[in-house]
Amino acid sequence: GRTIVPAAPSVRRLAREMQVDIHAVHGTGIAGRISEEDVRRTAGTPSVA
Amino acid sequence: MTKSYDFDVLVIGAGPGGYHAAIRAAQLGLKTACAERESVGGVCLNVGCIPTKALLHAGDIRAEARHASDFGLQLAEQRMDIAKLNGWKDGIVKKLTGGVSGLFKANKVTHLIGNASFVDDHTVQVGDKTYTAASIIIATGSEPARLPGLDVDQQGIVDSTGALVMPDPVPARMLCVGGGVIGFEFAHIYNNMGSQVKVIEFLPTIIPGADADAVKAFQKSMEKQGIKVAVQTKANRAEKKQDGIHVELENVKTGEKSVEVFDRVLVAVGRRPRTDGLNPEKAGVTVTERGFVPADSKQRTNVPHIYSIGDVASNPMLAHKAMKEGLVAAEVIAGKPAEQDAVAIPGVVYTNPELAWVGLTEQEAKDKGYEVKIGNFPFAASGRAMTLQQTDGFVKMVVEKDTDLVLGVHIVGPRASDILSEASLALEMGATATDIALTIHAHPTLGEAMLEGAESAHKQAIHIVNR
Ligand SMILES: Cc1cc2nc3c(=O)[nH]c(=O)nc-3n(C[C@H](O)[C@H](O)[C@H](O)COP(=O)(O)OP(=O)(O)OC[C@H]3O[C@@H](n4cnc5c(N)ncnc54)[C@H](O)[C@@H]3O)c2cc1C
Repeated sequence: GRTIVPAAPSVRRLAREMQVDIHAVHGTGIAGRISEEDVRRTAGTPSVA
Repeated sequence: MTKSYDFDVLVIGAGPGGYHAAIRAAQLGLKTACAERESVGGVCLNVGCIPTKALLHAGDIRAEARHASDFGLQLAEQRMDIAKLNGWKDGIVKKLTGGVSGLFKANKVTHLIGNASFVDDHTVQVGDKTYTAASIIIATGSEPARLPGLDVDQQGIVDSTGALVMPDPVPARMLCVGGGVIGFEFAHIYNNMGSQVKVIEFLPTIIPGADADAVKAFQKSMEKQGIKVAVQTKANRAEKKQDGIHVELENVKTGEKSVEVFDRVLVAVGRRPRTDGLNPEKAGVTVTERGFVPADSKQRTNVPHIYSIGDVASNPMLAHKAMKEGLVAAEVIAGKPAEQDAVAIPGVVYTNPELAWVGLTEQEAKDKGYEVKIGNFPFAASGRAMTLQQTDGFVKMVVEKDTDLVLGVHIVGPRASDILSEASLALEMGATATDIALTIHAHPTLGEAMLEGAESAHKQAIHIVNR
């Protein structure tokens, strides 16, 4: 399967900080790219209500 | 009651992995020591990356000077002061290792001098003193693998360390046993210095792990410069005689044997992890059959407070991988959410042209089930490459067909190593070929070949006919 997670290094670090499995995050950007917001949403704590 | 230790972190080995770990740990407020039995900087600074790159540069200048007559510069008859060449290279090493010592002092890293060996899982003996530490990082690196029948004496038969001392006179006939990165870098150095060089490789292809098209172009360019390459060939034994070193070569496919005579033989058949004198078993640390101290993505060994980084932990044995792992280990110890999660680790052969790659080869991508499109841009169509008189090679981009994500970039060409950093960033950021194509690259630069390579994946490159 795929090996490349389309998320920037800083986003991957945020996911670790929030204890979110980056592989379980649905990316909403182009080519399924994962944003900070996608990680926060998965963690259940979106920064924008 | 919590136990108190002499240090929060004790790092064993001051190579790229070890000194990065020690400095980052100290930056994060941990009381840190780093034990080293030889010179700080490890293999990379002392007998690896840095001195080879110095000799490569000197050789390239010599080769370029010869070709300067093409544009009307008749440079004077070349004289080689080999003592000065060796001294210049050693001076760079000294400056850089001194720099590491200075950084230790500035960051308040305690430098412990001597061989370090485990007493138990929190205690390490360095020289004749023992120290305790809450966390310990193993960063003991690697050493050249040996080859039966070819005994390294660092005179006629050398390993990479011996090959770094350019002999006077330069050997007339040189054999490099091993067609990997190190073998080819030395082949290129000695070829440029005037030796007749032959490289033999046991496997069917040189530079294993690199993209097949890139390797083909690379080999062609090396051969064009006069280096002889023989694959599926091994060296059985070497014998020193009056007229040189007689080496028995064998074609592993046909079994055909022949004897060839050389003045210097380099054994560069790989490296093995180094744990001699360390006694990791006393700390309960697992060592694999091949001698590695394996670690997880947080660089932890089977003993949770003992970490392993760099060459001793795993392949690929590269300085920048060791550095990254050192930072990860230090940050994990400091409680940060760090992890070795890099998408790809770049690889480079610093010859001229260079061979540099990051991410998946075309074959690897296909094996993993990706549908790919390929971009390709030759340096022969680059204005900048022409002005540098270095038009061999290309940028090859492996791109996922439907998502347009860049999966791998393979470059043969001048300063490919520097161009490659953009490709590494692209992979880490999850960039698409379109992202690269839409980025303005300065003109004229070699880096534009990345832009055109990306355009070519879309069959829209400007400076070549797209097919
Ligand atoms: C000729 C050559 C050229 C190379 N060129 C490149 C290049 O261009 N780019 C690149 O990325 N990589 C290159 N490499 C590989 C690179 O040198 C290694 O990947 C890198 O040095 C590994 O770093 P490290 O910290 O894991 O270990 P090392 O650099 O091997 O450092 C380990 C240190 O630990 C010390 N040590 C070991 N055991 C003990 C002990 N028990 N007690 C105390 N101290 C101990 C050793 O003395 C050594 O200083 C090259 C290697 C060679 C040989």
